[in-house]
Amino acid sequence: MDQMGEKGLGNVLEKRLSRRTLLLRGGQVAGLAGVGAFLAACSGSAATSAPTQAAAAATTAPGTPAAASAAASAAASAAASAPPPSEGPMGTILNFANWPAYIDVATSGPDNGKSPTLLEFTKATGVKVNYQEKIDDNNSFVATIRDQLKAGLDTGWDLMVLTDWMAARLISLGWISKINQANVPNCQTNLVDSLRNQPWDPPNDYHYPWQSGMTGVGYSKKSVAKAGMPPLTRIADLWNSKLAGHVTFLTEMRDTFGLGALKLGIDPATITLDQVNQIVSDMTPLVAQGLRFTGNSYLQDFANGKVWAAMVWSGDLASSGSSDDTFVFPEEGTMVWSDNMLIPKGAQHQRAAEAMMNWVYQPNIAAQIEDFVYYVCPVKGADAEIKKIDPPAATNPLIFPTPAVVAKQHAFKSLSIDEDTQFNNAFNTLMGS
Amino acid sequence: MSRTRHSLRRLLSPYVLLAPGLLWLIVFFVLPTIQMFLYSVSTGSVDFGYKLTWSFDAFTSIPTYFSRQFENSLIYGTLATVITFLISYPLAYFIAFRGGRYKNLILFLVIAPFFTSFLIRTISWQIILGNNGPVIGLMHAVDVFHQVPENFTFMGEPVAVVSGLVYNYLPFMTLPLYVALERIDLRLIEAAQDLYAGPWRPRGWIYGAVGGALLGALIGFGIDWDVAIFAVLGAVLGAAMLGAFVSESFLRVTFPLSLPGVFAGSLLTFIPALGDYVNATLLGSPKTQMIGNVIQARFLTSNDYTTASALSFVLMVGIIVAVMIYARMLGTEDLSGGAMI
Repeated sequence: MDQMGEKGLGNVLEKRLSRRTLLLRGGQVAGLAGVGAFLAACSGSAATSAPTQAAAAATTAPGTPAAASAAASAAASAAASAPPPSEGPMGTILNFANWPAYIDVATSGPDNGKSPTLLEFTKATGVKVNYQEKIDDNNSFVATIRDQLKAGLDTGWDLMVLTDWMAARLISLGWISKINQANVPNCQTNLVDSLRNQPWDPPNDYHYPWQSGMTGVGYSKKSVAKAGMPPLTRIADLWNSKLAGHVTFLTEMRDTFGLGALKLGIDPATITLDQVNQIVSDMTPLVAQGLRFTGNSYLQDFANGKVWAAMVWSGDLASSGSSDDTFVFPEEGTMVWSDNMLIPKGAQHQRAAEAMMNWVYQPNIAAQIEDFVYYVCPVKGADAEIKKIDPPAATNPLIFPTPAVVAKQHAFKSLSIDEDTQFNNAFNTLMGS
Repeated sequence: MSRTRHSLRRLLSPYVLLAPGLLWLIVFFVLPTIQMFLYSVSTGSVDFGYKLTWSFDAFTSIPTYFSRQFENSLIYGTLATVITFLISYPLAYFIAFRGGRYKNLILFLVIAPFFTSFLIRTISWQIILGNNGPVIGLMHAVDVFHQVPENFTFMGEPVAVVSGLVYNYLPFMTLPLYVALERIDLRLIEAAQDLYAGPWRPRGWIYGAVGGALLGALIGFGIDWDVAIFAVLGAVLGAAMLGAFVSESFLRVTFPLSLPGVFAGSLLTFIPALGDYVNATLLGSPKTQMIGNVIQARFLTSNDYTTASALSFVLMVGIIVAVMIYARMLGTEDLSGGAMI
């Protein structure tokens, strides 16, 4: 956030480098025992030789009680059933589709512009990552692979990150490959409790969260002060006529209707079409005053002063906005969501995709990503790790929400196909299309 | 024997020659159109498949929900066509008759922007018309009497969308006009001037003023601005154009001979402009959405293929009918035939 200026980032990167050399050595040692063994080592699996245990010590965070229990659970699930596709060799490549600005990026040094997390993964496993920021919008992305998914063909992706409602839909359609839990012991151990037991996939057979986050209100302090308003604290403040023409909402229907519902005191978890229509008529006057709907591009609008206040996703302004732009947890509450790693049916490198899931569920790697993206961390133990690289971040409510924030988090109703179409049509009508 | 074979060949050869084109048309136009129509009378969802139910609900709901977007498309498409014509005609005329050895260079310059991506060209208009952009900057700079409000903006207004459309489709108007004008035999104009057509159009400025005022009012109305100001502006410009520059020989010889170009250019501009959604997305706001935006949103975000197909179908039929009426009014064969003679 504000605390993390250029200097702070530099320090973090230096520390990262030293951590990386440590990892490297661990990887080399593990390489002797074979790549597979190394991955097991990451979780502290029991069946490892002496050198790989050294590697395990290097990669799993001290202070996480994870390692011991992971060993037990990994052994247990390995003994259970293992679907054939995940047993094969790791392969040499992983095709990974994700959203923009959703992974750590080195801003200096020889790896400038590349992601340390992915580089380290390649060094450790020998799998090259074809990481593409191809997802801008759940519906649009799925539209590009729907036909292959339907036919059970290779979509070209081995791992993709989609928002909870879309993940739920694809899983229910049988388009997602089952995860071999034996290959993801870190995920099993380190997934935070609040994201466990999702109604659409309670045992995490098909998904593990990549990040979770909140939708709330963001604003430019200077612009809002100039408009003669006190700092914003509520969703309803976005309706203030002093801001007219300088406000944007989100093109994700669940975010905009979710906050619109909270503003009117409607519970988004049980929202009905009538209530949606009520929200639409509440927002329609704003459209006449020049309200616009955007995705991540509100960042540019904030940067050039076109937008003063907006519905925003929690991490964006902290990671990519100026120090003048700030995120507030509105009094009415926030919408909470998760973006989840999924392996599409027909993926050619399932084993590598599972290795990646396991990789990012190491607390130190999670901390490294979190320190860049500023979304809510789904990995236990990452707070202890992040303290080492960026102490203020460990108490940042954007990454580790306080109980008060969590108490006001709301989830959007899981919609039937019909409701989904009706809600989307109402939303498109609001957006003029 | 050889005689019959010969005549059989003669009988079949036109169809054989037509085959590739027909096949193309069937595979890429007729079949998709049928498929689209079937979608529009089906019910279901994109994930679970569609069932043909012959329900016309999607069509009957169009007037209630989408008349505004159809209206926007029609107004912006028409304005874009008219304005590109007003810009292109003098330009094409100049290139064809006064271009001399720079003809090819100027033609190249007309197409030059097309070397950049369509999206980049449209996004650059965000900068040109933006609140910190040159146009508004200039307006505030010359605004000594403070008539321009502080928060005056183009973005999100119809004027921005129409500007984008005009800019993006200009060459589609200019090139056919140029081709038509270039073909005109200069001796015809000379002969007309010698025989009956004087250099000036008598009372041209009156016609110009009336026509310009109407056109100005239409533009003002279309982009939601002060109609009176535009009407006056149009009247002045029209009077000046017709009064000073347009001669009788132009109206009686040059312009009629260029009509095939006008026909082709206006279709090439109007049809894509009508279905365009990129300009309205990037330069407009919710109130300036066109029918293309609706179709895009229903297909790709709502996954409501039924409504999207019905809208596409209505748009297509509408365009075909409009083009047929236009062709009947302006005609193509007679005129191009006339130009050949």
